[in-house]
Amino acid sequence: MAETILALEGATKRFGGVPAVRAMDLTVERGTITGFLGPNGAGKTTSLRMALGIITPDEGRARLFGKAPNARTLDRVGFLPEERGIYKKMVAEDAVTFFGRLKGMSAGKARQRAGEMLERVGLGDARKKKIKEMSKGMAQKVQIAAALVHDPEFIILDEPFSGLDPVNQKVLERMIRAENEAGKTILFSTHVMEHAERLCDRIVLIAKGRKVFDGTVNEALGTVPRRVLIETGEGPGAGPVLAAHGAVTDDGMTGEGTHRYTLDLAPGSDAQDALKALVDAGVRLARFEPVRAHLHEAFVHLVESAEREPA
Amino acid sequence: MRAIYLIARREYLSYVATWGFWLSLLSVPLFMLVGGGLPALIEGSQPTRHYAMIDETGDGYAEALRDAFAQRSRDEALEALRAAAEPLGREDQLPAAEAALNAEPGLEGLPEAVEALGLPASSVSIDGSSRFIEVDPPARDAEALRPYLLGEQTIMTEEGEQPLFAAIIIRNDADSPVGVTVDYWSASLTDTALRNRVQDRLSDILRERRLADAGVPRDLLNEINAIDVDARELNPERTGEAAAVSTAERIPFVVGVAMAFILWTIIFSVVNMLLTAMIEERGNKVLEVLLASARFHEILIGKLMGVAAVSATLLIFWGGLGMLGLVGVQTLLEVSELPVADIIGAVLDPGLLLPAFGYFIIGYLMYGAVFLAIGSLCDTLQEAQTLMSPIMLVMFIPLFVVMAAIESPDSAVVQIVSWIPIWTPFVMIARIPSDPPMWEMLATTGLMVGFAIVVIALAGAVFRQGALGRANADSVRKLLKLGKKKPA
Repeated sequence: MAETILALEGATKRFGGVPAVRAMDLTVERGTITGFLGPNGAGKTTSLRMALGIITPDEGRARLFGKAPNARTLDRVGFLPEERGIYKKMVAEDAVTFFGRLKGMSAGKARQRAGEMLERVGLGDARKKKIKEMSKGMAQKVQIAAALVHDPEFIILDEPFSGLDPVNQKVLERMIRAENEAGKTILFSTHVMEHAERLCDRIVLIAKGRKVFDGTVNEALGTVPRRVLIETGEGPGAGPVLAAHGAVTDDGMTGEGTHRYTLDLAPGSDAQDALKALVDAGVRLARFEPVRAHLHEAFVHLVESAEREPA
Repeated sequence: MRAIYLIARREYLSYVATWGFWLSLLSVPLFMLVGGGLPALIEGSQPTRHYAMIDETGDGYAEALRDAFAQRSRDEALEALRAAAEPLGREDQLPAAEAALNAEPGLEGLPEAVEALGLPASSVSIDGSSRFIEVDPPARDAEALRPYLLGEQTIMTEEGEQPLFAAIIIRNDADSPVGVTVDYWSASLTDTALRNRVQDRLSDILRERRLADAGVPRDLLNEINAIDVDARELNPERTGEAAAVSTAERIPFVVGVAMAFILWTIIFSVVNMLLTAMIEERGNKVLEVLLASARFHEILIGKLMGVAAVSATLLIFWGGLGMLGLVGVQTLLEVSELPVADIIGAVLDPGLLLPAFGYFIIGYLMYGAVFLAIGSLCDTLQEAQTLMSPIMLVMFIPLFVVMAAIESPDSAVVQIVSWIPIWTPFVMIARIPSDPPMWEMLATTGLMVGFAIVVIALAGAVFRQGALGRANADSVRKLLKLGKKKPA
């Protein structure tokens, strides 16, 4: 059984009596990439702060490497907070070295690793540059280097892609994958579902301070109805035939003279069965296209379902 | 401990690397140098003033005034010679110096007199006396003198063509109770030194003449004028000759008050550094990153320690420079009257230095934590200023109390204020040389330490909320509004 790196056990946190996170259960297993998703104000940052011991849960508890978060366990964690911050008047290499030393590295080792990390994020030539003289994206890369300088076992990235251009998002994605392949455990929060879909072994979705989903990407996708786009030519209508396989939306005539339907397959129904039924009924098919669901739909579906529930 | 050390080190280095630090490091000695040298510079750069004196009375007042001025200058010179000779133990050479001075008219014999003491001729000078030079009046009445006084016409002097600075006309005045009045004509409304001198000396002359007219013999008059009571200050804790109180004994009181002022100045300037740095850090969003590696108290203490090290650097540099300056003044200008050894002894007295160090630490932590907490709540300096105003007012009060403590360190007000923890560090340090009761020192210190712990804990809680962005300046305003009753 894989080792649990992080566990929030029934963690609840209230601010001014208003719950920000409610009875949160969250586990992160060694060697996995876990996506921590949720809309703005869902309680992601509060959950991560509890995980790091920055704030204490009012109820429940946080365990990091099996213990309450402390200086020793924090030394094994690399954290990139959502609120990007770094000493702007410092030289990049000095800033990264400082954070390495804070994590228990010797001065020499921290400086050596700082150089390596800046090289890795593409700032090898700017290592002696003051951060205030850098662009926002460059400064963010310095911060990523600072979060990883001590070669942490567990990496927590809060919205790591925000503020980066598409090219640098790719660079960061490759870095996350490489760290994971090197055996590191990664937990990251994001709004960009494509990244989560591509990177995560597992996703945890929270809304209104509650966990609403915890599972693999495929399991998440399974929560949204599979959809089929159908266009028919002249002849018998497809509506009555499709109704037996799920919810049908009649989209009317297209510009090309075909009739369009959208079929949201009922649980247990299969696109192949619907296709067979249409053929058997003599419907002239111009288009039959099963549409692959994306995490984005799953996210919206799960969040909307959660928000409909009473608090 | 590691995090505290690293945060403190980073804070220290970040301050030391700034121009502002070096400016403040050098500005104080520069200020002292300028402040110390400025009066002498101003005095030395005063232009020579030429004046004319007209005596319309025919009673020889002008001549008497000239004699009095010359005598006064010689008295000043003698006083300066005595002041130079005494610290060097050369009092036995004073008669020779006095003889050399009197051998020449006016102050022309001063260089020889100084050399008679075995000192360089330039090491003793008389300020102020030589900048007023009498010239022959270019006209005999005020109306005719007016163009000279207004600079429309000039008089010929050794320095070339010059305006007339003042005209002194001594005239009989039947309305005056003394029968004489001086009309002092001058375009300068602010430089009244010459007028005062004439007024004082002429009053002396008139007084002496009236006494002489009343039959008081000249010898008796001189004797009366020479009366000068010597009040010996004695300490009842000692007996015999040892009871006499020396200047050196007063030095610890002056040093105590000076230390209280220095303590206040350093705390005041350093906590401002903390505040601005904290606001900048809040703007940079660095705290959240730090919190992943260090706990709140480590960040708070680290920052306080880093800035304390900055102030210690300033203090050691300024203190060292001050000591060097004192020793230098004594060594270079042999004749200095400064009791340097006594001052250094008082400053380095462990009985004063150790409590001063302790009070500095507690005072700094107490005020520093409060300013850090304020900084953690504010995004701009303007926001911080609103919250700081009441604290600044509170900080200024001990300054006035310490000033009062110079005269009476054991007055009831000073004693009561010592018990108010936020003012204890400044007031107690000024009181230490007057040996307050041990129980009072321990009790006030204990109260201050307890209060400081509470303040630091509260400031830590505010800092925690501010650092996480869960509180800001508006939160404080809302909190204060809660205490106000809503109108019915």
